[in-house]
Amino acid sequence: MTVSIEPGITGLVGSNGAGKSTLVKILLGLLEPSSGSANVMGHDVERDTRAIRSLVGYMPEHDCLPPEMTAAEFVSFMARCSGLPATAARERAAEVLRHVGLFEERYRPIRGYSTGMAQRVKLAQALVHDPRILVLDEPTNGLDPAGRDEMLALIQRTGREFGISVLVSSHLLGELERICDHVILIDAGRLVRAERLGALTGETGTLLVEVDGDVDAYCAALTAQGLVVQRDVLRVLVELPNGDDAESVARVFATHDIVRDVAVATGVGLLRIERRRGHLEDLFAGSVS
Amino acid sequence: MNGQINETTIHDLGYQRYEGARDGVRGAWRALFAQGFRAMFGLGRPLKSKAVPAFVLSATMLPCLAVLAASSASGGQLPIAYGGLIQAQLILFVLFAAAQAPEVMSHDQQHRVLPLILTRDVTRDVYASARIAAVLCALLVVCAAPLLLLYVGEIGIAVDPATAFRKMGAKAGPVLMQATLSAWVIGAIGAAMASMTPRRAYATASVIGVFLVAAAVSIGLDDLAGVSAEVSEFIDPLRSLHKMALILFGEKNRAMELTPPPPLWMFAVLALSLGTAGVLATFWRLRRVGV
Repeated sequence: MTVSIEPGITGLVGSNGAGKSTLVKILLGLLEPSSGSANVMGHDVERDTRAIRSLVGYMPEHDCLPPEMTAAEFVSFMARCSGLPATAARERAAEVLRHVGLFEERYRPIRGYSTGMAQRVKLAQALVHDPRILVLDEPTNGLDPAGRDEMLALIQRTGREFGISVLVSSHLLGELERICDHVILIDAGRLVRAERLGALTGETGTLLVEVDGDVDAYCAALTAQGLVVQRDVLRVLVELPNGDDAESVARVFATHDIVRDVAVATGVGLLRIERRRGHLEDLFAGSVS
Repeated sequence: MNGQINETTIHDLGYQRYEGARDGVRGAWRALFAQGFRAMFGLGRPLKSKAVPAFVLSATMLPCLAVLAASSASGGQLPIAYGGLIQAQLILFVLFAAAQAPEVMSHDQQHRVLPLILTRDVTRDVYASARIAAVLCALLVVCAAPLLLLYVGEIGIAVDPATAFRKMGAKAGPVLMQATLSAWVIGAIGAAMASMTPRRAYATASVIGVFLVAAAVSIGLDDLAGVSAEVSEFIDPLRSLHKMALILFGEKNRAMELTPPPPLWMFAVLALSLGTAGVLATFWRLRRVGV
């Protein structure tokens, strides 16, 4: 596979065993590539390991916290392992732990932490030496929905507001869709796709209509108007004409009008009309199968 | 609050860049060493981890105090047998290494902190050297403490400390050499064995095990195979460290009166090479351990 990762938040997607963690470890210089080469900000992963290490913060997928230390001790120890002097390390640790939302708890041993708190400590230790790139391996693993949302918001804030590029791996597409600019899709060690998220999930040629009332009658009436209609429980999918020329665009507008007029005629309530957006999920299903 | 600024609020300034100094590898080495050295004595750990260091330090130093007291009471008539006292202490040093070296050498593997540390300004060799140094220095403190206590005590209880200090000058070398070589052998072998497994209990058992097996093989060769004691004691590191102490401090046990012991340098070379082997084994292991 050949892929270049741009600044911003990049998602690394693949099923379990697809090679996400392996790719991440090669980029970090933890594993030697069996063949080929990789560069991080212009530094070769095999020769300039040291230069890369001050640039990268790594949050592994597995547990990596010593239970008997407190979060404050551990994060400042990790800062010192990145070469920060002792006083600066303590200050940075306090700052970063506050940033990830750990306050008084940071003086308690990690043994008693919930999964959500442990994940925050893992993120904090990855940030403590002020890296330019953050590599997060399955950061939402084991979190409940609320914890997941908070973690994603934290990652998004870190990536957007502080100019740190983020490479985040996950097998859950829904969450990457929410925060990523780019997505890299790998399967069994091969690159499937690498694109901007916008390009992958742009508008499709389908109009999504939600109505309240007699949906069957509404569908029948639309079909009678010569439209290609698909019923999806309470939603109605209407095919739009393709093409960029003036005539096609005019017909797209005309279709919108028909959808509206038929709703009036059949007496159903129109809840939503929207261009259907592609979902990462569809893409993934298409690529793997 | 009528528009007043609440001064007790800690304002979230968000993420801050760090522009300060970075000490690089040297700083990382110091951090790993300091944290390891403290862990060897259970500092910064729960009370439970301080039990063995406290026990070993008191169990090795209290008999020294007793001997000093007896010697003092007899007005210096009762000689202080450094070598004799060391025999019992050596097994306690092994206990210390077995209980505490895993805290430094296998703890990071057990809790998988090692892969994290290795993504920092730390190579495997830097990590290994800092951790071994921590174990060796802690062992040096533990091995030297009782000997130094005896040494200082012997000067202190003398009728004329100034004369005793001049006379004792010759003993300073043996005290330091014995402490350094004991720490080098027991620390390096302990560190090597402890680094082999991420499981703490196995690590402790293997440190004790390797010394027990060596002792058993040594005695077995002695008794069953009829190998002479001079040869077989080289197989047991603890026996050779004891023999070295006897020679160093000019003491003799009964066997040594019958047959003169091998020269001192042979024991020194043996101790140096055993420790070196342990250090190399630790480096070897930490270069290969999977992350």
